[in-house]
Amino acid sequence: MVIVGALGDRLNDEALLAGLGAGDAELAVAFVRRFQRIAFGVALAVTSDPVTAEDIAQQAFEQAWRHASVYDSRRGSVRAWLTTITHNLAIDFVRARSALPMDPDDLPVLLAAMTDSPERVAVANDSAEELRRALGRLPSPQARAVAMSGIYGMTARQVASTEGIPLGTAKTRIRDGMQKLRAAFLPEGAGDE
Amino acid sequence: MSEPNDMTCMELADVAAELALGVLTGRERAMAVAHLDDCDTCREDVRQFMATGEQLVELLPPAEPPAGFETRVLERLGLPVPVTQDAHSSPVSRRENNPRRRKSTRAAPPSRPGGTRPVGRMRRTLAAAAVGLAVIAAGLGGWRIGVGTSPSSATGPLTAASLLSVTQQSVGKVFVYSGTPSWLYMSVDDIESGQQAVTCQVIGTNGQVTTIGSFQLADGYGAWGSPDPENVGTLTGARLVSATGTVLATATFSH
Repeated sequence: MVIVGALGDRLNDEALLAGLGAGDAELAVAFVRRFQRIAFGVALAVTSDPVTAEDIAQQAFEQAWRHASVYDSRRGSVRAWLTTITHNLAIDFVRARSALPMDPDDLPVLLAAMTDSPERVAVANDSAEELRRALGRLPSPQARAVAMSGIYGMTARQVASTEGIPLGTAKTRIRDGMQKLRAAFLPEGAGDE
Repeated sequence: MSEPNDMTCMELADVAAELALGVLTGRERAMAVAHLDDCDTCREDVRQFMATGEQLVELLPPAEPPAGFETRVLERLGLPVPVTQDAHSSPVSRRENNPRRRKSTRAAPPSRPGGTRPVGRMRRTLAAAAVGLAVIAAGLGGWRIGVGTSPSSATGPLTAASLLSVTQQSVGKVFVYSGTPSWLYMSVDDIESGQQAVTCQVIGTNGQVTTIGSFQLADGYGAWGSPDPENVGTLTGARLVSATGTVLATATFSH
């Protein structure tokens, strides 16, 4: 048993991750508390199953603990790093299932949550906010294709099959949608869009 | 000379987003990856799509995990289960309850590269060395610990102090953690020393200076950490010294 005080609340994300990596129980608790909703949210969105999502989120924290020393802040925030770890684990899981990773009827709900979340607005940086708005502005077919590929890891062929469209159309929707998102997220790096 | 199956930049642009999202498969993927080996422009194109895709995932809404999630994560890692309290944690209570110091019926936690769950003195020493290797490797990679605490503040077992240059400008931060295991991190954010090896020294209560390690600065930036520095709880300061012995910056701890 370890008693948790306010120390963890005062430390930034990188310091908490360092504490987790060093096996410090108090800082590990603070790290889990700070990021558990994010990790579980990503896993739940992709798997749609709370039990599986919990296992994936736990695996994500275990991976963070194992690999804390190789985290590189120049490549992104701790939050982004943990989100990517969780997402990759969730994608691996849904790909191992034979069934489609998602119900197409659930997509509008997911996209609405991604584009209209007051809590998200409070924590996102300006670039992320631009991306959120750009996702909301995408034509529905492109937004659906981007979500299927970007969130559920579906191939263009799977998108085409799910949407009942030609493969070429699915690939175009993914490409065009992502180009618009990139132009909003990285306006300087995507000036040709 | 290009092969018949080579992908052009225009063709790569058509599938760059799919490649970045990890949904490109088979022959197309192989050709795209081969193209990136020789094309910096397209590699940057894909990198930007990857960054966009990662940020897209961050838009997913958070969700409250089932009750007991936090406890199960900690058990999975073999760490003590938390009890919330407003006051700071007590090093004594933590020591008494640390499973590393008592027999445990808990299943062995998962291992990780270079890390063990030490129990005895020898194991603890080995683990400290492993952590040392890890943080040194991180330092070489330029991993910088950000600064979220106020300057020169003592926060229970964690002390943070600004690293001040000879002109009293803040050029970095030093964190000293006297919990278990103890550690010290020094991050240099901006110092006019370019590329050079620098040494981290700590200063004891009697003014004794001890060199605890060296690391490389890259364009004035760098970070380094050490597990289990000696007498960590009684250190009065730390300093950054150049390869020629010049003191570049100093931090003073206020315990």
